[in-house]
Amino acid sequence: MAHSLTADCTPLKIEYDSCFNSWFEGYLEPAVSAAASPEQRAKYSKEKAEEYERKCGKIWASYRDCVQKAVKEKGLNELLDQARKENPLKEQPAISSPSQSSSS
Amino acid sequence: MHYFSQSFNYDHSWARVVIGMWHKYPNPHCSHVVTVDVVDRTVDPRTGIIRTERILGCKQRAPIWIVKLFGGSEDAFVREISFVDPSTQTTTISSVNLSLSQFATCNEMIRYSPAPGGRTAFHQTAEIETRMNMWRSAADKLENWLALRFEQNAQLGKVGFTDVLRQLWEDAKDKPAHVSA
Repeated sequence: MAHSLTADCTPLKIEYDSCFNSWFEGYLEPAVSAAASPEQRAKYSKEKAEEYERKCGKIWASYRDCVQKAVKEKGLNELLDQARKENPLKEQPAISSPSQSSSS
Repeated sequence: MHYFSQSFNYDHSWARVVIGMWHKYPNPHCSHVVTVDVVDRTVDPRTGIIRTERILGCKQRAPIWIVKLFGGSEDAFVREISFVDPSTQTTTISSVNLSLSQFATCNEMIRYSPAPGGRTAFHQTAEIETRMNMWRSAADKLENWLALRFEQNAQLGKVGFTDVLRQLWEDAKDKPAHVSA
């Protein structure tokens, strides 16, 4: 796995990434096939979101605190804030592509 | 403004490509990417969509005239937002440069979606544009250089990710999309 911004955060990053990856690998394929009904999807998503929080919530909090400090130390917080302001990207962007027919 | 786009297929299912996404770095083909950090992540308990905001740190030598004109160093940082939506099997990744962003922006958009034959379609676009209020010929020069570097890195990214996916899944042809290590 790639390093973190500062050496201090790298062990936390590695532990967090491993936690997320093992959760994600168990999550993804059932999530794809859970499309049967909206109710099933909602139930599965809720269970899995809770499982992620239970399994990785603690290490995520430690890693996030560390990396937030590192972002400040590197002088990136202002650039990041500006980029977030210009384009929050809170929702999945709609993008057109040659393989999909355009609706416009 | 410079515009770049490319599309091709990876010989792996959408789920495997998306799992592989988190294993792309470090990568010998993309040695310019040295740090990768998640700064925000949410798992939507209603839709199951995972949103991830990362900062990628790159080290790539810039020509001396760039450093002289625009300052900066070898270190360049990129903000990347990805959405993984299992219900539609769509992944989108939007990236923008943080470094040199007062002079120019490079907006990249990637999408992975299922393709026939259990493959995955990759579609990438990028728009490179200098901001206003710049000495024209310097702006043109900067934009040309950024576009060239983007295209070189895009090719390295393709070769690098193909290798990662092969290594990740070559021994797992008959197994479900799951990584044991």
